[in-house]
Formats: sequence, structure tokens, C-alpha cells
Amino acid sequence: MAHDRLWWRVAWRNLWRNRLRTLITASGLAFGYLGAVLMVGVSDGMLVELIENGTRLMLGEVQVHSEDYLPERNMHRTIGGYEGTDLEIFLNQINSQEDVTAAAPRAYGGGLLSSGEETQAALLMGIDPDREPHVTTLLSRVVHGRPLVTGANEILLGSEMVEQLGTALGDEIVVVAPSSDGSMGNDLFTLVGTFDTGIPAIDQNYGLLALSDLQFLMAMDPARIHEVAITVGNAQDSPRIAETLREFLSDTELPVQVSSWTDLRPELAEMVSLMNAFHFIVVIIIFGMAAFGVANTMLIGTFERRREFAVVRALGTAPIGIGQTVVYEGIVLGMISLVAGSLITWPILVWLHNSPIDLTQVSSGFSVGGAQWRPVLRVEYSIESPIVAGLGLFLTSILAAVYPAWKATRVLPADALADR
Amino acid sequence: MKTAVRTTNLWKIYPQEPDPVEAVRDISIKIETGDFVAMAGPSGSGKTTMLNMIGGLTRPSQGQISIGDQEITEMTDKDLAQLRLEHIGFVFQSYNLLPVLTALENAEFTLLLSGIPKDERRKRVLELFNKIGLSGLEDRKPGKLSGGQQQRVAVARAVVANPALILADEPTANLDSKASADLLDVMERLNQDHGTTFLFSTHDPRVMERSRRLITLVDGQIESDKRQNHLSVSS
Ligand SMILES: Nc1ncnc2c1ncn2[C@@H]1O[C@H](COP(=O)(O)OP(=O)(O)O)[C@@H](O)[C@H]1O
Ligand SMILES: [Mg+2]
Repeated sequence: MAHDRLWWRVAWRNLWRNRLRTLITASGLAFGYLGAVLMVGVSDGMLVELIENGTRLMLGEVQVHSEDYLPERNMHRTIGGYEGTDLEIFLNQINSQEDVTAAAPRAYGGGLLSSGEETQAALLMGIDPDREPHVTTLLSRVVHGRPLVTGANEILLGSEMVEQLGTALGDEIVVVAPSSDGSMGNDLFTLVGTFDTGIPAIDQNYGLLALSDLQFLMAMDPARIHEVAITVGNAQDSPRIAETLREFLSDTELPVQVSSWTDLRPELAEMVSLMNAFHFIVVIIIFGMAAFGVANTMLIGTFERRREFAVVRALGTAPIGIGQTVVYEGIVLGMISLVAGSLITWPILVWLHNSPIDLTQVSSGFSVGGAQWRPVLRVEYSIESPIVAGLGLFLTSILAAVYPAWKATRVLPADALADR
Repeated sequence: MKTAVRTTNLWKIYPQEPDPVEAVRDISIKIETGDFVAMAGPSGSGKTTMLNMIGGLTRPSQGQISIGDQEITEMTDKDLAQLRLEHIGFVFQSYNLLPVLTALENAEFTLLLSGIPKDERRKRVLELFNKIGLSGLEDRKPGKLSGGQQQRVAVARAVVANPALILADEPTANLDSKASADLLDVMERLNQDHGTTFLFSTHDPRVMERSRRLITLVDGQIESDKRQNHLSVSS
């Protein structure tokens, strides 16, 4: 429209007419923006922390099992049945998938560990010491000693298990485990390292062995494994990647089941979607409150200018033109607030991201569904949340202008001119 | 002579407790194109109501109004706005310039609304400012102008788009006698040079005296309507 520029100009100057009021309103919106982006950043940080700890430590983001393995975890239900499958070929197939970063084979068994007088039940997990570190951080949690070497009958135990067994690095541990042929396997293993994950269920119960050593103990063929753990580029994408992998592996005619961490840790997935919904609600509340504040201010502003609206109506402006300039005012206010909001938000966001605040003083952390949260205020940001919050802010200021704009179009010129 | 404004049995009744106010009672008048008409009468006699109805800002309770050959009583607000933009200029007692715009921007307001290009707008406003003694004040905001200057900007704003009719509601009421006389000079000159029809209300005898036709209202009715035979162009 030809006179759009006029309305923009009038809107802009009107905003600066009551400088203080505009600044207060804009600051309110800017801090709302800061609050929304920061809130989402902090809780995103918390989620990423939970997901990472929930998957990176031990689970991986996607797992492959024989289709009848879960949930009983029967030791006989290995991938490819009693025959097993050629591990190299199978892992290469999985690795050939675009989204797969790394894959590691595993076997599991139950057993008793004895050292001296003490005996403890343990979950035995056979891992590939070369492949496992590409998928999980488990081996990086070895705090004393060293990781495993294959073929040397070595074992890693959690710090609490070590305490319960009253054993020490270098000691011999007797491991007894039911084997696949129905007999009892038993052998001596050397404790070469202890790990400390911070998660009691792991530190109390797990014994880590080299995959082939466990297979030998349990009289299992080297082709037989229970699990392939996989890590992918983006943990949030896991369900989709699992689906793709499932389709791909159905061609190999091995009866496998592919699960993403969201299937394996539903309580964690639940929590993630709950928190995402919660973000959304908080952002809506923040901007909803801001909307009322802005609408109120603009309503006062338009009421004060009733006479001016009447004058421009008398000069030949259609009612819609009056509404237009008020909405433009909202838009300009939104833009000013967005610029101010970005200027205060970004430095704080980047700073918090780079130096997370340590909360050890006030909290010792917690764990959800096997995922541990360290007491650190970690802030994650994506390009998304500032844009979404920016849109929210913008929408807020426009929506907040709609009612005052409508009121402005309803001003009766004759009454306003007579100050009635 | 062509008719600029015609009202036929015009009524305005404001619903009000306890009794409705009959602000305009059955007024029929005809104002000729190019005339210079004053509407006089005491406060509350219905002058503002008449002017607002003629300008389409207030809807009559009864009766008809024509501007030129257009009957306006049935028009929508939007069409009335367009009619004002093209054919009617308004001047108010309290100037009512937009405080955020400069004198020049105020004066060019209707040209902007009509989408006249910038160069053309500036040319017309500067010419007009020169003619009515506002040269050099183009960039001042209304707050930095005297009452007389503000009212002349308001007149410039009303006439710049060359409307056929100017409605002015007590344009001199806030001005001292010198400024009033100056403003009347300006209005007369514009009336003569452009043939613009002026209809203004006043209760100042010195202003009434300079009109060519004087309509006097009392209690919403015409008490007298007379031609004044003088050719008073001072300066
Ligand atoms: N919006 C309104 N509501 C109620 N009464 C009104 C309104 N506008 C004007 N009046 C009344 O109508 C009468 C005429 O008013 P007005 O046209 O303003 O007269 P004038 O301009 O000659 O002083 C007065 O009695 C005034 O109080
Ligand atoms: Mg009046």
C-alpha cells in the first residue's frame, strides 16, 4: 500500500514518544525471551545429559538382538540361533548403514564370583575391548588398573563389587557360570581393573570380561552373541534409525529385533517427551504473561491517542488504517525487544554452555531409568529454540497489539474530538 | 451556481438520560460552491454536530446530506473516509496536529494517504507554506510552534489536497485577535484563489463579519441566514 511507510513512521515515532514506557515493555519482552531460551537451554542440557548418560555409558542408542531374546534374556537365544552368525560380516553390514557410527558385539551370562571367603552373584558381560569404546564410555570409567586384554582371562569389576568381595587389583577371582551345554563352567580370572560409573546397579553387579573369554567359559561358539550395541549420530534420531536398520536387516533373513533406546528405556523416553511438552508449556506461559503486559501498555497508549485517531479519521483514513498503525507498533516493539533479547541472551547462553555451573554444593544429582544426572547446570542450545522463542516473542507482540488495534478502529471520531 | 453541501430535514438526537438531546432539529440548508460561510450561535447550539454530520464523522438521526452530488447518509465508514480524503478538509479548534510529525509531515498527511509521490508532495506543501507565512518552519514539531502557526499548518493540511470543501470548527477560538485575523486572511485567499468552499463555525463577531453568508443557529435550529454584502479582502 502506498501509505504503508507513513504508518510505519507514525508507529515508530509513537513508540519513542513515551520512551520509558516503551523501554520497560521492551525489557519485559526481552527478559521473557531470555527466560524462555535459557529455560529451554538448561532443560535441554539436562535431557542431553540424561540421554547421553543413559545411552553412552552402556546401552548404546540402538541394540540388535535375536527376536526372542528380550525380555527373558535366555542365554540360548543368540543372534542367528544355535549356529550363530559370522560376526565380521554381520557387524560390517550394520556399520554400512549411513547413520551408524559404530557397533559392538556382546554376550551375557549370570554367575558367581568368589574371592577368598566372599562370594557374590554377578552379571557377566562379554565385550570386545577394541570395539566397545567406540560405542559406549563404559571402559573409560575404569578408575583403577587398566581395561581388558582378550584371551588372558581378565576381569573388570565395579568398585562396590570389589568392596563386597574384599578383593584387590591383581587378585584371582573364581568365576562359575552355567554354560550353554548345561554344565557349569568355571575358571580363574585376574582382576585387572575396577570401574566406577556412579550408578549403583552397575557398580554392584557387573563383571566385564573379554567377549571370547566369556564365550569360552560358557561353552559358546565364537559366532554366538546376544547383542550388538550401536551408536548413532544423534540420539534423538534413534527411533528412525532403528526402523531403517530393521528394514535393512530383514533382508539378511536373520530373525532379529532392533530396538532404540526409547524402547529399551521407556521411562527415560517418557521423561524426555514430558520435558519437551513442559518446555512448550513454560514458553507459552512466559509469553502469555508478556502478552497481557504488552496488551495493557498498548491499550493505555491507544487510549491516550484517541483524539489523534479521530483526527486522522477526519482527514480521510479508513478505520483499518488506524488498526494498521497500532499493529505496526506491536511489530516494531517486537523487533526492538527481539534485538535487545538476543543481545542479552546469546552471550549468557554461550557462556553457560562453555562453563557449566557446578551445583555439587546444592545437589548430588539423581538418576532416572539408569541414566545419571550429574549436578552440573549444563546448557545446550540449538538454532531452533532461539528461533522458536523469537517467533513466540514476535507473535506475542503482534497478538498483544490486535485487541488495542481493534479498539482503536472503534474510536468514534466525533466523541474523541470532543473528549467525550 | 452548483451546490457544495445540501442538508434536507436534518436531525440529530443524542440518546441521553434523563432526556435525549435534540442537538440539530430539522435543518435544511444549501451551500453553494465557492462560498465562504460562517455558522454562528452560542455554545451548545449544534454547530459542531452540524459540521461533523456534514463531514461524515457523525451519523444523522434523520434527514439527508449531499456533498457535491453524492448522498452520504448511507455510505460505509470506509467510503466516508475516502470521500473526506478526496473532497473534504477538516480544521479543528484545538489544531489537532499529530505531535510525532513535523509541520511539513503534518501538512502533507493527506497527500501521503492519497499516494502522491514525495517530490510532488514537498513542492505543494512548500508552495503553500510560502503563501501562508510558514516558510522556514517545515521541520518543527507542533510543540515548537505558536498557536497561530499550528492552526495555519492545520489549514495547510486541510487544503493541500485541493478538496472542494473545508469544514472548520471554531478555527480561531484559541487564537488572539491578530492571529485570528491572519488566519481569516489565509482562508479568504485560499477561497478566492482555488474556489474552495469554506464552512466554519464561530462565535466571534469579528470572524462572523468576514463571512459572505452568516447562518445563525439557536437550539439546533436556524435562527437567521443572511448574505453579507461586503468584499473584504484585506491585503
Ligand atoms: N455525543 C454527544 N452526546 C450527548 N450530547 C451531545 C453529544 N454531542 C453534543 N451533544 C449535545 O448536543 C448539543 C449541541 O452540541 P454541539 O453540536 O457541540 O454545539 P456547539 O458546537 O454549537 O457548541 C449540546 O447540548 C451538547 O451537549
Ligand atoms: Mg462546538
